[in-house]
Amino acid sequence: MNPATEPLLAWPAEGVTRAPYRVMSDLEIYRLEQERIFRGPVWHYLCLEAEIPEPGAFRTTMIGETPVIVARNKDGAVHAFVNRCAHKGAMLCLEARGKRQAFTCVYHAWTYDLTGALRSVAFQKGVNGKGGMPPDFQLADHGLEPVRSVAFEGLIFGTFSEAAPPFEEYLGPAMVAQIRRVFHKPVEVLGYFHQVMHNNWKLYMENSRDPYHATILHAFYTTFKLNRLTMEGGITLEHGGWHSMNFSKGATMRQGEYEGTGIRSVVEGIGLADPSLLESRQEFADGITVAIQSIFPTCVHQQIYNTLALRQVVPQGPFQAELHWTVFGYKDDDAGLRNMRLKQANLIGPAGFVSMEDGSVGEYVQRGIAGTGTDSNAVIEMGGREIASTTASRATEATIRGFWTGYRTLMGF
Amino acid sequence: MTASILNDTLRRQIEDLHTRYIRTIDDDRLEEWPALFTETCLYKITTRENYDQGLPLAVMECRSRGMLVDRVTGLRRINVYEPQRYSHQVSGLTVEQIDERTASCRSNYLVVRTTGDGSMILFSAGIYLDRIVLQDGCTLFAERVVVADSRRIETLLAIPL
Repeated sequence: MNPATEPLLAWPAEGVTRAPYRVMSDLEIYRLEQERIFRGPVWHYLCLEAEIPEPGAFRTTMIGETPVIVARNKDGAVHAFVNRCAHKGAMLCLEARGKRQAFTCVYHAWTYDLTGALRSVAFQKGVNGKGGMPPDFQLADHGLEPVRSVAFEGLIFGTFSEAAPPFEEYLGPAMVAQIRRVFHKPVEVLGYFHQVMHNNWKLYMENSRDPYHATILHAFYTTFKLNRLTMEGGITLEHGGWHSMNFSKGATMRQGEYEGTGIRSVVEGIGLADPSLLESRQEFADGITVAIQSIFPTCVHQQIYNTLALRQVVPQGPFQAELHWTVFGYKDDDAGLRNMRLKQANLIGPAGFVSMEDGSVGEYVQRGIAGTGTDSNAVIEMGGREIASTTASRATEATIRGFWTGYRTLMGF
Repeated sequence: MTASILNDTLRRQIEDLHTRYIRTIDDDRLEEWPALFTETCLYKITTRENYDQGLPLAVMECRSRGMLVDRVTGLRRINVYEPQRYSHQVSGLTVEQIDERTASCRSNYLVVRTTGDGSMILFSAGIYLDRIVLQDGCTLFAERVVVADSRRIETLLAIPL
């Protein structure tokens, strides 16, 4: 086999109604993903503008395995660059966030400004006229590797690729509309969660896109009528399904369908000792109470009642990924609403009544598929075989087929 | 003299409350856990990252005994997670008496989590910041704020720390 011409993987003939388990564990495929997806022509969520409000403020983040710094320059412009000294490759900044005039490498004191340009090299001219860099050494040739970045409605995205389409075009109008729906006024970070999952990063990308599992696995949703498939809702896809959103409207629930089916998701005869947890305020005129937006490849933007968050998935080898949550509210929240958001945060995150299961279910899959042969695949046929937006039913996996469409395109599988 | 006797008694009762707390969780008697708190308690798990920046978000936040009961209901009847148990190690208790019935306490904790297949991990280490009150002759947590040193949580946090 010639590795230059043969793909690493032959995708099953059924297309995206199947996903080969091998993509969840193969090290060569994982390495190729770093090149074709994480350095490929797509946009990656980096951070919120609210996290770097003033000149000199910075935040470290990741694009795939690559560490990245996002900084606000003296002129207010946002710059992103790889967090790796151009000299010997040492990580330049170990802090999660802060404020700096410049980034100086601890190893040999190479110093970069807030745009990532190299400004000085220790002992560039040597000592007593001896040693030092060659006379033709140019600081301008050794800046930090730049990341193309874009600030959109308060979110910052970045890409290594010149071939990534303009950001709004990449998202498509429906995805742009969902970002604008939430980011319609200044936001304020309420805090962070970080969760290590012992599963391949793509298992979480399937999970966040999956309206089919949400009201089965997450019995809290169903039991307390926060989200059911018998509510009005739907899925909205863009860019051929690469990005998608699934949503529901809490006030429109019909009884039935769950009761008496044997699905364990509605726990009967149960109540909350303190039901104030479920007090919510309708913030959006459209009546949507749960909206989970997935932006290809690894960004999830959520509204679950009054909890608002960005989730970023960072792969850490084929068998591990870290999920970073940034939970926010609006700057002008009144005390009651702020309080409500913080109380409802009990629904989300690694200890969330609703979302704790997502931290473990990917692990169950990862453990379950260990030892499978090269012809073992997941079956993704719920809702038929097409990839299209619908408000008819959320008993569908069209959004997951959309993810695999993007994945196959970029990977050449 | 009277004050120091009260101090000693209160301190013993506080130590006893700490021990009962560990026992209810580590022996999986979670149903008894809410009774160690006052009706209007605050129980909160946060991370050093959020705490030091003054960010209010908590990994878990119960603002009443009822919310503690609801956490137990969730664990027993609603949420799905791999069978697991904790072993708590608590040390370095300091007690600052605020008045006859209230003390402010701090201690270090370390929790080892063991899951069904036998995997053991050092799940969490950090501090407890407590406000403990004497009510009807019993000491109860009016407030327990758990500040975990690591910002990372492995897989999920189901059982309270």
